Amino acid sequence: MSDTQTAVEPEHKIRTDSMFVNLGPQHPSTHGVLRVGLTIEGELITKAVPDVGYLHRGTEKLAEARGYHHCVVLTDRWDYVSAMPNNLVFCLAAEKIMGVKVPPRANALRVIMCELNRIASHLLFFGTYGIDTGAFTPFLYAFREREMILDLFEMVCGARLTYNYIRLGGVMLDVNDAWLAKAKEFIEYFKPRLDEYDTLLSFNPIFMARTENVGLISKETAINWGLSGPNLRGSGVDYDARKADPYCGYEEYDFTVPLGKKGSCWDRYYCRVQEMRQSVKIVEQALAKLPAGETMATGVAKVPKPAPGEAYAHVEGARGDLGIYLVSDGQGSPYRMHVRAPSFINLAILQEMLVGNKVADVIAILGSIDIVLGEVDR
Amino acid sequence: MAEEKSTGNGSSPEIPKSQPAPVPAGVSAGAAPAPAAAKPAAAAAPKPAAPPKKSWPEPKFNEKDGRLLKTTRYWPTELWPHPWQSASYRNGAMMLFGIIAGLLASGAAIGELSTWGDKLYALIAGFVASHGQPAVVTDVIWVAIKVLIVLHVVLINGLWAIWWERKISAHIQSRVGPTYAGGFHGWAQTIMDGIKLLLKEDITPAAADKWVHALAPAIVVAPVVVAFAPVTFGKDLAAANLDIGVLYIFAMAGISVIGVVMAGWASGNKYSLLGGLRASAQLVSYELPRGFSIVPVLMFAGSLDLSVIANAQAGYKWGFLPKWFIFYPVVGQLAFLIFLIASIAETNRTPFDIPEAESELVSGFHTEYSGMKWSIFFLAEYGYVLLASFLLATFFLGGGASPFVFDHVIPSWLWMLGKAMAMMFVFLWVRWTFPRFRSDQLMDFCWKFLLPWSFANIAFAGLTLFLR
Amino acid sequence: MTQDELFAKISAKLPQVEKHATQVKEYLTLKLKSAEDVLPVARALKNELGFDYLEIVTAVDWVGVVNPDGFIRNPNPNVFLPEGATPQNFPCATPNFPYRPMFEVVWSFGNLTEKMKVFVKLELPRDDARVPSLAGLFKAADWQERETYDLFGIRFDGHPNLTKILTPEFTQGHPLRKDYVHVKDRYDE
Repeated sequence: MSDTQTAVEPEHKIRTDSMFVNLGPQHPSTHGVLRVGLTIEGELITKAVPDVGYLHRGTEKLAEARGYHHCVVLTDRWDYVSAMPNNLVFCLAAEKIMGVKVPPRANALRVIMCELNRIASHLLFFGTYGIDTGAFTPFLYAFREREMILDLFEMVCGARLTYNYIRLGGVMLDVNDAWLAKAKEFIEYFKPRLDEYDTLLSFNPIFMARTENVGLISKETAINWGLSGPNLRGSGVDYDARKADPYCGYEEYDFTVPLGKKGSCWDRYYCRVQEMRQSVKIVEQALAKLPAGETMATGVAKVPKPAPGEAYAHVEGARGDLGIYLVSDGQGSPYRMHVRAPSFINLAILQEMLVGNKVADVIAILGSIDIVLGEVDR
Repeated sequence: MAEEKSTGNGSSPEIPKSQPAPVPAGVSAGAAPAPAAAKPAAAAAPKPAAPPKKSWPEPKFNEKDGRLLKTTRYWPTELWPHPWQSASYRNGAMMLFGIIAGLLASGAAIGELSTWGDKLYALIAGFVASHGQPAVVTDVIWVAIKVLIVLHVVLINGLWAIWWERKISAHIQSRVGPTYAGGFHGWAQTIMDGIKLLLKEDITPAAADKWVHALAPAIVVAPVVVAFAPVTFGKDLAAANLDIGVLYIFAMAGISVIGVVMAGWASGNKYSLLGGLRASAQLVSYELPRGFSIVPVLMFAGSLDLSVIANAQAGYKWGFLPKWFIFYPVVGQLAFLIFLIASIAETNRTPFDIPEAESELVSGFHTEYSGMKWSIFFLAEYGYVLLASFLLATFFLGGGASPFVFDHVIPSWLWMLGKAMAMMFVFLWVRWTFPRFRSDQLMDFCWKFLLPWSFANIAFAGLTLFLR
Repeated sequence: MTQDELFAKISAKLPQVEKHATQVKEYLTLKLKSAEDVLPVARALKNELGFDYLEIVTAVDWVGVVNPDGFIRNPNPNVFLPEGATPQNFPCATPNFPYRPMFEVVWSFGNLTEKMKVFVKLELPRDDARVPSLAGLFKAADWQERETYDLFGIRFDGHPNLTKILTPEFTQGHPLRKDYVHVKDRYDE
């Protein structure tokens, strides 16, 4: 970067100063405690240094001193906006090591909860991205729908944010007819809302002008930087953990994976909106063919001590490809748990993507990557 | 059913299970436990000895103490299909209808305000003469009264517009807005907020230039009040009948830009300075389309005097269509739209609110202001919105002329007020619907789109006049 | 491509890698013999075999059971003890388990078209652990290597900016090491 600056310095007397500006750790665009140190020359950004770690709680170390059931509680706090896939990925890894087979009803419930949570998380993204670009109204519509989903979750597990619902061997509680009726009601209510959101924000010319040619990521760049989730699919790479390594019976559901064309902010945004549609489809199918049976596998001990081994499980979280690498040495707590956090890896591209862009585009780009700091910092 | 489950649970304590399966009492019919599959389902069997360990209560929606609630929390499925079925909707509609009817009735009763003004002037003249003062004192008192009225129009507009904006934004966003202060839909909210702002500490940053910092809000708000002088509030109801009304208004409105720059510079904050400069660039740029879009109106009316422009739109074409400038083919609509968009940009409202709201990195020009000084900036903004609404009503909507041929009862000031409020509603409505332009896109839009079209509009107006 | 086919292809190109004794469940796990193999293996995987998606860069500390003092306040593993079970010692080592004073760096490469994953592991001595950095080949390694350095202390040679990323600047030591002892800082009472 320094040689770019000396190249810009002209021989005559006009001296341009580069200004160092801190974006955060407190700023109105609600992405959490993230600090980006920007060096700007007038309107153009010459250097961007994201500084993370404000929310680091050391869950990987904490997991080494807790039993397997306790670790599920730790997982909720990573991507707190969509906590069900976090629980799920840890349970999948632990079940792989322990060799536990999950009953089909529990699998179907897991799928329903994860997809509902994906809808809730993408609604939050949709609302906050609207606010970032100046449209205040879609935020409230998105949160009105999100409240309904959170009510559903509160009915089933008592919590609105950190559910701890998906446990080792199955799910915590079964759902009853009242819940199923409310879930169907919600799905019927939600389907026309998606068209409303498209009219309100997605194809609004002002919004498209702000996001269409901004933050372009090519396919090769996306793969090289290890992006995942809608960031990767917005650039046209067809990779979804639900289709690549199906889990919890995803191969039985009929859904498509939306892809973007040129990897702009708008493509990533629209991928997420389309994913909401697909999630609605999956929830409908899962609700229709919810099998009867147990919701918890037999044979999971109260203090599980799996045989020594290693396992890796990954799910398609709302932010990207969330993975857990679990090493067991035969004791009651994991010997090593590593979290492959999609937001952490997605955020790294910011140091390259912001350079050369205008200051006014920073928020649009940052919003389109859709990070949650709990997952970035763990 | 209950029997099967309890027997299943009854056998669990002997085998250490991972979790005692907490089967709620009302589990769905399909979830029969695996081991006790073939039990004959005796529906009327007596309850067994070991009930399930945990029983989770049925979730109750829309119910409290056994009775059905009128409003659901977040499940509006009961309300959406037929809004007229809900009592609160009907009550609201009746109330609105009542308010409008009351306004119309009182307007009809009061009649034209200009006649009352003439009577008041005669009263003052008589009063002055009876005390033996020269006749000029009457004029002095009359001017003082008019100044006070105009000032109060701007101030009360601050109260009303902010309340209305909060209500409109709330209802657009499916909320309710202020409901508490004053009881009836929170009408006293802005008064309370004004008192609160008066009591707030007035902070001047240490690095700021104290006099410029203190003077900037005054320079922003004074031109607004002054610019209301030639604005007609109805028939013969302007504070000052200026021949050059339009030019005067635009000149006064342009003075505020200096105040904005002063505010940005005097805050001692380089981000405020950048914000202030961006704001001034935007404000100065958008004055051009605003002025040029009015030229066709002036061409049709033949004068800069606002009352002449309003009177030029009196009368009805083909017996029913009012001769308002907005109905003139192509020219009227184009001029209306350009003037509306440029006014929204002039008043720093979304989608052109870069100076106010781009605060994630570059703070707006009024960041370093607190308490009353800050509220003065907002008074000025809503004052300009009101000014733009009245101008829109005067230039394009006939300003006081009734749209109905058969109506001779409702006075002109009520029509003018109604049209101005309709235009203000458009301003407030647009703010909460559209996202925000980036500053370079904003400038592009002004110089490369609005300005050429306003020139083209002048050409169309010339063509129309030539063909007439 | 099955795992055996994949391993056959890899061994054809890189005879120095072998299958690891502990396979990560359901995925092919390879073992490297020394640090010099890292770059050739990564390059071959990326350019010739289509594994151009780096998913994980992390490490495991095999020295023994973690020392909970100083990072867990009143460690009590018997809080949720079932009735009648014996109270547990906390945390205890498994007998006959091969604990050794080594770091094991774990990489995971993905092939997005074939939807396959391969894990690559390398063991390093705990003192002065150095590994060549993959940041030149895969930009995804950039922050993950910084995180591994921050939490374990493994140096990645050739990394453009190997600094702390997650822990605050006053943290002394590398927290994910099993023998990490917490030094009292301004957030402890």
